[in-house]
Amino acid sequence: MSATTPLVEVEAIARRYTMKKGVFGAPIEVRAVDGVSFSIRRGETLGIVGESGSGKSTTGRMVLGLEMPDAGTVRFDGAAIPPIGGAEWRRQRARMQMIFQDPLAALDRRLPIAAQVREPLDIHLIGNEAEREARVVELLRDVGLSADHGRRYPHELSGGQRQRAVLARALATRPDFLVCDEPVSALDVSIQAQVVNQLIDIQAALGLAMLFISHDLRVVRQVSRRVGVMYLGRIVEEGDADDLFATPVHPYTRALVSAAPHPGRKPTERIVLTGDPPNPADRPSGCAFHPRCAFAVARCRVESPVLADLGAGRQVACHLASPAGAGGVPTGPKLPALEVA
Amino acid sequence: MTDLAAPGAPASHQQPVRRRPTIPLGVALAIAWLIGMIVVALLADRITPYGVTAMDLKNRLALPGNTGHWLGTDELGRDVLSRLIASVRISLMIAFGATLISAFVGTLLGFLAAHLRGAFEQMVLMLADFQASMPFLIMALAVLAFFGSSLPTLIGLMGIYGWERYARISRGLAISAGQQGYAGAIRQLGATPARIYLRHILPNIASTLIVSMTLVFPEVILLESGLSFLGLGVQPPMTSLGNMVGYGREYLTRAPWIMLAPSLAIVVTTFAVSMLGDWLRDRLDPTLR
Amino acid sequence: MVYFILSRIARAVITVALVVTFAFVVLRLSGDPALMIMGPEAPPEVLAAFRSAWGLDLPIWQQYFSYFGAIAQGELGRSMRDGRPAIELVLERIPSTLALTLPALAMKVGIGLPAGIYAALHRGGPIDRLVMTLAVAGFTVPSFVLGLVLVLVFSVMLGWLPSGGQDSWRHAILPVLTLGIGGAAILARFTRSAMLEVLGQPYMRTALAKGVPWHVAIRSHALPNAAIPTVTIIGFMVGTLIAGAVVVESVFSWPGVGRLLVVAVANRDLAVVQCILLLVAATMVASNLLVDFLYGYLDPRLRTGARAGAH
Repeated sequence: MSATTPLVEVEAIARRYTMKKGVFGAPIEVRAVDGVSFSIRRGETLGIVGESGSGKSTTGRMVLGLEMPDAGTVRFDGAAIPPIGGAEWRRQRARMQMIFQDPLAALDRRLPIAAQVREPLDIHLIGNEAEREARVVELLRDVGLSADHGRRYPHELSGGQRQRAVLARALATRPDFLVCDEPVSALDVSIQAQVVNQLIDIQAALGLAMLFISHDLRVVRQVSRRVGVMYLGRIVEEGDADDLFATPVHPYTRALVSAAPHPGRKPTERIVLTGDPPNPADRPSGCAFHPRCAFAVARCRVESPVLADLGAGRQVACHLASPAGAGGVPTGPKLPALEVA
Repeated sequence: MTDLAAPGAPASHQQPVRRRPTIPLGVALAIAWLIGMIVVALLADRITPYGVTAMDLKNRLALPGNTGHWLGTDELGRDVLSRLIASVRISLMIAFGATLISAFVGTLLGFLAAHLRGAFEQMVLMLADFQASMPFLIMALAVLAFFGSSLPTLIGLMGIYGWERYARISRGLAISAGQQGYAGAIRQLGATPARIYLRHILPNIASTLIVSMTLVFPEVILLESGLSFLGLGVQPPMTSLGNMVGYGREYLTRAPWIMLAPSLAIVVTTFAVSMLGDWLRDRLDPTLR
Repeated sequence: MVYFILSRIARAVITVALVVTFAFVVLRLSGDPALMIMGPEAPPEVLAAFRSAWGLDLPIWQQYFSYFGAIAQGELGRSMRDGRPAIELVLERIPSTLALTLPALAMKVGIGLPAGIYAALHRGGPIDRLVMTLAVAGFTVPSFVLGLVLVLVFSVMLGWLPSGGQDSWRHAILPVLTLGIGGAAILARFTRSAMLEVLGQPYMRTALAKGVPWHVAIRSHALPNAAIPTVTIIGFMVGTLIAGAVVVESVFSWPGVGRLLVVAVANRDLAVVQCILLLVAATMVASNLLVDFLYGYLDPRLRTGARAGAH
C-alpha cells in the first residue's frame, strides 16, 4: 500500500440519537455528529478540538468502529469496518486501538498491569508463552515502565503510570492506528507533558496514524500536524496545525485561540463567547455558531455554511471567510476591534 | 467504589503494610458455627450415633442430657441428635444448592440482559419486578400443589428464589463496566464476550454477588423449613429442620426439646449467616443496600 | 402525572397477566387440567363440558386466551373435595384471616414506625440497640418457631392463653403477636435506616444551619422524606394481608385462607390453589398501585412528572 493513500477515510459520517422531551412530547432528533469527513495517512496525526458536546468523542468512536455511523462511511485501509462484535471486527481490533481519558476506569482493577498489557496478545493469539512474556517487558520499557510496575495493580500506580500502561496495552498488537480521546486531561498538568511527549515519540517511532481528540488546544497543537475544529457535530475549520493556530479564520476558532493562554498577549484581547454553550438537542438554525458569533449577519441565521477550501490546506465553514489572498493566508470576517491583534 | 483496594491484592512493598483485618468476636463465632454445621452435614453418616429411623422403644421421650441420647428421644424412641444431624444435612444441602442455582441463573440472565439489551433485557427486568412483587411462599406452594414435592423439585423451586437480585446486580454492574469502564476497554481490544464477562466482569462483581448470597441463603433456609414445617417440603422418611419442628410441635407439652433443638439450629444458623453477610458487606461492598 | 398513573396501571395489568400465565403454564405442565380441576371421579360429560368451556380442544394459544376469558368471568373451577365453587370456599375464609392480619398490621405500624423513628433520632442509645437486636431476631427467627415458643410459654407453662382454635378473641392474641412482633421489628429497622439516610442529607444540615429548630426540621423535612421508602414496605405488608398468615394460621390451627391453602396444596386441590393464587396476586397488585399513588402524593417530583420519563 502506497504511503500516499490514506489509511483512514471518513466520509460524511453522522450519528443521531432520538431523545424524548417530556412524556408525550415528540421525539427530538439529536445530531451528535453531523456530516464529518476527513482522512488520515499512515504516520500522520489529526487533532480534533472542540468543547464537550461538540461530537468529537462520538466521532472518535465511529472512526474506530465502536459505533456505527447512521450515515456516511468509515474506511480503514481501503475497506469498510466490518459489523460490530463479529469475528472479523474483533480481529480488526488488533490493528486499531484506543487510549481513554480515564486510565483507571480502562484498566481491570483486579489484574496486575503485566497481565493486562499481555491481554491483547492472548486475545489475538500472538506468539507463544515466552514470546508474550518478553513482549510485555519490552512494551512496558517502551512506555517508560519497569517490570516491577507490571507486577502491581492499577490502584498502586500513579495516574501517569496508568496511562502509560494503557498505552502499552494498546501498542501490544503493533496497531496501525490509534485514537486518543482526551488522553491526558485527567492527569496532573505536570505529568501531561511527559505523557504527551512519550506519545509523540512512540507515534514517530512506530509510524502510527493517530486521531488525537482533546479540548486542550495547546496539547493538540503539540501532537498534531493537522487539526480539525468541531462545533455541534461539524468540523468548522481544518488546516495545518501551526497555521491554524497562528491565523484562525472561523470566528469560533478565533475565540478558542484567543481564550488559550498565550505569552505576550494582553488578556484584554480575549474574545469572550456570549450566549448559551452548545447543546446538540437545541441546535440553532443556519450556522450553528451564529447565536454566539460577533460577526453574524442575516445569512448566518438561515443558511448553514459548508466547509470550503480556502487554499493553503485550509478549509473553513463560514459565510464570511474569504479565500487566500496575496499573502497566501486565508482571512476571516473583520471587525474593527480585532484588527489590533 | 473504584477507589476501593482490590481485596486479596498483595500489598506492594512500596506501600505501608496494611493493617491485618481483625475479625470481630461475633463474626468469628458465626464462622465457627457455620464451619461446624458444614462439617456435621458432610460427616453426617459417620457421626450420627443412631440410625435416623432406629427406634429405641424402651427409651421413648427420654429427656435430654441422658447418656445414651444427648438430646433425648422422641415418641417413637428415635434419637433426637441423630435426627437433628440428618436434618441439618438436608436443610443445608437444599439451601446451598438453591443459593448456587439462583446465583448462577440470576447472574447469567443479568449478563445476557446487559449483553443483548433490547427485548430480552426488558423481559428479564419485567420478570424480576414480578418476582419481587409477589410473595414467593404462595408461588412456591402453588408449584408444589401442581407438581408434588420431591427433593429435586424442592431444590429447583428454592433455586428460583432470589435470582432477580443477582440479575439486577450483574446487569447493572456489567452495563456500567461496559459503558465507561474496563469492560468497554477490553471489548475494543477484540475480546470475545465470554472473555469479557468471565475473566473480567465476573471477578470484579464477585464480592457483591457473594454478599447477596449471604442475604439469600438464610431466607432460603427459612423458606424451606417453613414449607417442611407445613408438611409440604421435605417428605418422610427424609427429614429437615422444618420437618422436625413440625413433628416436635405435637409433643410440645411433654417433650419440648424435640421442637426446640431444630428451632435453635435454624435460628443460630440464619443469624450466623446474616452476621457474616453484614460483616462481609461492610468490608467488601459498602454500596450494597 | 397522567402518564405516571397509566404506566402504573399498565404494570399492574402485566403483573396479573404474568400470574395468570404462570398458573396456565404450571397447570398445563402438570397434566390434564380437566382431571386436575374437576377431580378424577368427575363424570365424562362433566369433563367434556369443562373441556369445551375452557376450550381444551383448541390450539394452545387459543386456550391461553380463553383461559384469560374464563378467569375474567370468575370461572375458577370447583374444589375437588366438596364440589363447591373454589371462589366461595376462599371468600368465606377471608374474614378469619383478616381478623389476624389487620390487628397484626396495626401492631406493626403502631410499634414499628415510632420505634424506628425514635431509634434513628437516638442513634446508639439503648432503644436503638434494642430495636436493632429485635430486628435481627425478627429476621432470623421463623414465625413458626416464634409461634411455638409463645405457645410453650403462654399456653403450656403459664396456661394464660389458648394454644389454638378460633373460639374467642383470646385465641387471636398469640397468632397476632407472632405476626406482629416480627413485622414490627422489620418495619422498625427499615424506618430507622430511612430516617438515618434522610438525617444525613445536605438539606437537613442546611435547615439546621439556617437555625430551623430541631423538631421543626424533623417534622417538616425528615419525616416526609423518610416516609417515601417506608411506605413501600408498609404497602408490601398490606399486600400480604391475605397471604401473609399461611404459616401462623397453621401453627395456631386458625381456619383462615392460609390454612385453606396449605390443606389444598396437601390434597392437590388445584382449583382452590389457583383461586388463592389469583386472589393474592390481585391483592398484591392493588396494594402496589396504592403505594405508587401514595408515592405520587408524597414525592412532588413524581407529581410534576419530571421523573416520569426515566421509567
